[in-house]
Amino acid sequence: MKKVKILTTILAVVLVSMIAFLGIYSQVQNRMENKVKDYSYTMNLKGARQVKLKVNEESTTVIKDENGAEIEETEELTDEQIAEKGYSKEEVQNNPQEILTLDNYKKSKEIIEKRLKKLNVDDYNIRLDEQTGDIIIEFTENDNTDKVVSNLSTTGKFEIIDSETKEVLMTNDDIKSSSVMYGSSSTTAANAGTNVYLNIEFNKDGAKKLEDISNKYVETEETSDSNTTSEETSTEEETTDTEDIETESTDTEEDATDTENTETESTDTEEDTTTEKEITMKVDDQEIMTTSFDEPLRTGQLQLSIGQASTDKETLNGYVDQALSMATVLDSGNIPIKYDIAENEYISTDITEDNIQIIGYVAIAIIAVALIILCIRYKTNGIIGAILYIGLFAIYSLLIRYTNVEISLEGLFAIGVILILEYIFMNKILNGINKEKEENNKDIVVKEAVKTAYKEFFIKIIPIIIAIIAFCFMNLTPLSSFGMMMFWGIALIAIYNFVIVGTILKIKAEKK
Amino acid sequence: MEKKNNKMKIIVLLIAIIIIAGIIVVATSGFNFELAYQPSKKVELYIGKEFEISDIKQITNEVIQNQEVLIQKVEVFEDTVSIISNDITEEQKNNLITKINEKYQTELSAEEIEITSIAHMRGRDIIKPYIVSFIIATAIILLYMAIRYYKLNSIKVIVKTILILAVAEALLFSIIAITRLPIGRLTIPMMLIVYILTLLGITNKFEKNLEIKKIEEEKN
Repeated sequence: MKKVKILTTILAVVLVSMIAFLGIYSQVQNRMENKVKDYSYTMNLKGARQVKLKVNEESTTVIKDENGAEIEETEELTDEQIAEKGYSKEEVQNNPQEILTLDNYKKSKEIIEKRLKKLNVDDYNIRLDEQTGDIIIEFTENDNTDKVVSNLSTTGKFEIIDSETKEVLMTNDDIKSSSVMYGSSSTTAANAGTNVYLNIEFNKDGAKKLEDISNKYVETEETSDSNTTSEETSTEEETTDTEDIETESTDTEEDATDTENTETESTDTEEDTTTEKEITMKVDDQEIMTTSFDEPLRTGQLQLSIGQASTDKETLNGYVDQALSMATVLDSGNIPIKYDIAENEYISTDITEDNIQIIGYVAIAIIAVALIILCIRYKTNGIIGAILYIGLFAIYSLLIRYTNVEISLEGLFAIGVILILEYIFMNKILNGINKEKEENNKDIVVKEAVKTAYKEFFIKIIPIIIAIIAFCFMNLTPLSSFGMMMFWGIALIAIYNFVIVGTILKIKAEKK
Repeated sequence: MEKKNNKMKIIVLLIAIIIIAGIIVVATSGFNFELAYQPSKKVELYIGKEFEISDIKQITNEVIQNQEVLIQKVEVFEDTVSIISNDITEEQKNNLITKINEKYQTELSAEEIEITSIAHMRGRDIIKPYIVSFIIATAIILLYMAIRYYKLNSIKVIVKTILILAVAEALLFSIIAITRLPIGRLTIPMMLIVYILTLLGITNKFEKNLEIKKIEEEKN
């Protein structure tokens, strides 16, 4: 009966090992597919998205009036009209020579790093060409990669300007932080749902400026009727404007309608209050909204509604992504240099399957030698120990796959450490059994040996356990991969040796 | 006991020599970085079909002689090859294109393919993200050590632990510098292994000392 128990357990371990190393195959259409989950790898072992940001060398044609002020709406002006009006045409470098300095290159790199961190990209390589200012970034490829790329080359220039005089009232320097907020609206059935807001929090100076602006750029002298209209307009305007952000590049038709709406509203407001002053908010020289304030803002915070209230999860996620992108760009600061994406491609790792195979063969050879030594040293117990050792490795490989741990180069080293630790532990148990064999009865020998091995081994690795738990919580993929793989490995050593190894050796001892 | 002390002295002296030698090497010639972290030149060639890295390696061995070359597949279809080396001249580029055209029947033109420069990656940029993590983990470990081995004098335990960990990492970097092993993707895993093994060694030593202390206390 005891023999059957041992054989059954060992066969179960062998079966698990076969599943882990060979897989379970079933026919899917005309091919065989392994049903066992595959490993997931980090950038080093899989490949990465590589983005090259090149310093923009282009220039923009700028039309200026006789006073040297830039004319904004110049698209429809012909050369004759420009001459007639006394305007002048100038070619202005997008990146003037004086800003192309090493300090600005370094600042740009730092801002890009901040953006990557804010977008939860923790596994990345960044390199700066200090001569040309070009920046190359490599980071993990996943569902968010394109979103991340779109945030890298954006300058992030934030401005609140006087709509009339174009005087710059606030800039990035006034922003403390920005975040995404939610709010529910249930005024009418049509508007019911969740609203997504971009919340911009200003620093001390910024808050003061915002209060001054909201005092100055306020709607004045309105009747109660027009007040209601004004409030509606203001809300609508906000919605219209945020819609503008969303559809800027895609929905021209809607954009046109929005502009029409805004124009009509402006006309209405002009009829009511001729003295009204408005501000324009710009991000990267793109108008986000033009508005005035109903009341002074003393909180130092500005909430911009992104899109319309919605109950649709996908729509809301879209708004959140949009708001998050803006928050990331505003929060990380203004890149002093204008960059273009020169390269955006997926680069496979140079660590080929052949390389991994060679490492695998070397590891197998070392393990084989170590297990042979175990068998020679501890005879039958050693053979059982060797089989169970392979079983632990098999279960460990399944555990890594099903706990979704990403394997990095650091993680591969963690596997090595776990195999060494298990070997030491197994050796301790078997050595303990040999030592105490003659003194006590067989059952107690195994119990005592396992107990002593656990006590000695785990007390010595407490600092390692502390380190790996700390690594697990670090926001750094290679390190957390190492931590997670070590954590699961040590947990497995603790459970497996207690449940399987201890039990089998105990049954074997009882058998004699 | 004296023999043990002498042995210890020799080990300490040896470690000191290695670290000093390492510092001298770093000060005079710096670390050796692997190609992926060095300033280099890159050529990307669109082959338009799947290819084997080993075939491209054969070509680069003929064209870019006596230089390290990094070959990577580009894009999801893996039909473009990126060839990186310390330096790629126009002549080498032309030869590469000719040989690729011959091998894969492509019609790549030298005029359309540029040699692009890749900036180096600074060593501190590789290590920097890990520093805070190591400091946090070590601080928690030191706290544990101070409590667990208070009988061995907490301050001494903390100082010893910090010193041994620092010396172990310094030793690793000195060996890397002296042997001209390239700093690169394997550096951090090596640092981690040294860190873990050193911790294991330190705890082992302190546990033994604690055991001796307990026995002594029991005797008294």
